[in-house]
Amino acid sequence: MKELNELNLPSSVRYHDDHEWVSVSAPYRLGISDFAQDALGDLTFVEMPEVGTRLTRGEEFGTLESTKSVSPLLSPVNGTVKAVNEELNDNPGLVNSDPYGAGWIIEIEMNPGELDGLMDAAAYKAHLESEGGH
Amino acid sequence: MSTRLGKTILNETHKKLGGNMVDFGGWEMPLWYASGAVKEHLAVLTGAGLFDTGHMAVILGEGPDLRGFLNFALSKDISRLKTGRAGYGIVLDDQGFAVDDAIIYPLSEERWALVVNAGMSGPVIAHLKKLPGSEKYEWTDLAGRLAKLDLQGPSSFRILKPLVAGADQVFEKLPYFSFKGDYDLPSSTVRLTDGTPVLLSRTGYTGELGFEIFLPIDRAESVWNRLLETGAERGLIPCGLAARDSLRTGAVLPLSHQDIGAWPFINNPWPWALPLAGDGSFTKDFKGRAALSAARATADHTLPFVGFDPRKVEASGAKVMLDGREIGTVLTVVADMGLGRVDGRVVGLASPDKPEGWNPKGLVCGFVKIREKLEPGTVIYLKDDRRQLKVEIAGDLRPGRSARSPLK
Repeated sequence: MKELNELNLPSSVRYHDDHEWVSVSAPYRLGISDFAQDALGDLTFVEMPEVGTRLTRGEEFGTLESTKSVSPLLSPVNGTVKAVNEELNDNPGLVNSDPYGAGWIIEIEMNPGELDGLMDAAAYKAHLESEGGH
Repeated sequence: MSTRLGKTILNETHKKLGGNMVDFGGWEMPLWYASGAVKEHLAVLTGAGLFDTGHMAVILGEGPDLRGFLNFALSKDISRLKTGRAGYGIVLDDQGFAVDDAIIYPLSEERWALVVNAGMSGPVIAHLKKLPGSEKYEWTDLAGRLAKLDLQGPSSFRILKPLVAGADQVFEKLPYFSFKGDYDLPSSTVRLTDGTPVLLSRTGYTGELGFEIFLPIDRAESVWNRLLETGAERGLIPCGLAARDSLRTGAVLPLSHQDIGAWPFINNPWPWALPLAGDGSFTKDFKGRAALSAARATADHTLPFVGFDPRKVEASGAKVMLDGREIGTVLTVVADMGLGRVDGRVVGLASPDKPEGWNPKGLVCGFVKIREKLEPGTVIYLKDDRRQLKVEIAGDLRPGRSARSPLK
C-alpha cells in the first residue's frame, strides 16, 4: 500500500469521503482517488451506468471489481450521466494507472453547487489521516 | 494490524517489496505486491511466480505401521503410496465433514509428514490423537523450524534447475506429486548449490508446473532473493494470496473451510481424494466412511462454474438460481484473468487453439454447492443484492494447465 505522502491528490478535483472525485469545473468528470485504486488493487471490471441515468447523492451507480472483490461506486452528487468512459470496458486497469486522467469513469451533467459538499485536496488528505487509512 | 498476527520469516521482505499485507487465517500475509494481482496471476500462467507459504503447517508423524493408521485417518487410499510420492487427502470426522485437507508425504514406513493449512496443525493433531491406535505415534508440529517457498509457473523448472546441486539427478523421475529430500532438513540429500538443504516437492496450488520448497527458516530470505534475482529474466515475480486464490480456483482446487468444510466430502470435483473403486465403492475403511456412504444419495453437489465476463457476485450470501428456483449457495467466486471466451468457448492463455494475438479479458469462475447434480453447460444464475449473474456449470475451468508438463 502507498504511504499517505506517496498519494497523488491533485487540486483540480474535489473529493468525497467514499473516495470518489469530481472535477472542479465542467465537464464534470467522476473517478476514484489514488487512495481508492491503491486499496482496491488491480481492477478487472468497471460496471458503469447507461448515459441518461439519474444520479442521487450517496446512492450506488456502478461497481469496481478486482479478482476477488466487488465494491460499489457511490455518487457524491445529484445529476445525470452524460457520458461513460468506454475505454474501461477493454482496459479497466486505466483506473489504477491513471485515476485522475484516462481512468475517469463517468461524466456528469450537474449543478455546480453540487461541489459544495465535497472536500478539497488538503481536507481529503486530513480525512485520510483521521481515518488512519494507512 | 494487530501485533498478535503470525508473521513468516519473510514478513519484512514482503513489506519492502510493496506487499499489501492482510490478515489471512491469523497470519499477516501479502495479498499482492507492487505488480498487482492481475500481473501476478498472469506471470504464473506464462512465466513463474514465487509465493511465501510459510504460514502453512507441517506435521511430522512417527511410529510403527503409520501407513495403516493414516490410511484410516485420511480419505485418500495410501496403501500403495510409495516413498517419494505425495498424495492429497482429506482429514474427515465421523460425519464425513472435512476437518482440513492435507498433502501426505511418506518419508519411510515409520515417518510420514502431513502439510495442512495455516493454523490447522493443532486441530489436526488433536483429531489424530483421538483415533484408535494413536497412542503408538508421536506427532510433531514443525512450525517455526521450516520455511516454505512455492515456485509456480511453466518457467519454474528452468529457474530452479541452476540453483540445485546435482540437478540432473534431483529432477530425474520427479513427476507431478512426487518429492525428494526429507523434512529432517540437516539430513536431507537434496541441497541447493549454496549448500541449503531442502525438501523439494513437485506440487503446488496453482495447477501450473512448479515446486514447493521446504527449507530451514534461516535460509528463507537468501533463497527467496536468489530465486527472484536469477528468475527475473524468465518472468519471475513475487506473488501474493490474491493471485494464489484466483489461480487455484481456475485449476479447480478447493480452499479448505470455504469449498470443503462442515458438510459431507462427497459429490464434488475432488473424487480423487476419495478411495473410489471403478464401480464407485470404497476400497478401504476410513474415518467418516459410513457417513459418506449414507450421504451420497442426498448430499449437495459441489460443482465448478464459469461465466461470460469478469463480473462477480458477493460470495457470502449469494444464491444459486435455476429456472427461477433457489437451489444452493456460492462457495468461491473469483475472476480468472487468464480466461476469456472465443465464439462462446472458454479459452485460456495456454490453450493450444487460442487465436493469434488474443488477450483474455477474464472470466468469473468458482464453485457452487447445490441440491441437484447439473451437467456441464447448464445455465444457472448467481444472485446477490446487486445483480443476477448468468454463468454455466463447467466440467473443467482453465484450459492448458501445465502442472503435469515434462521437466525440460
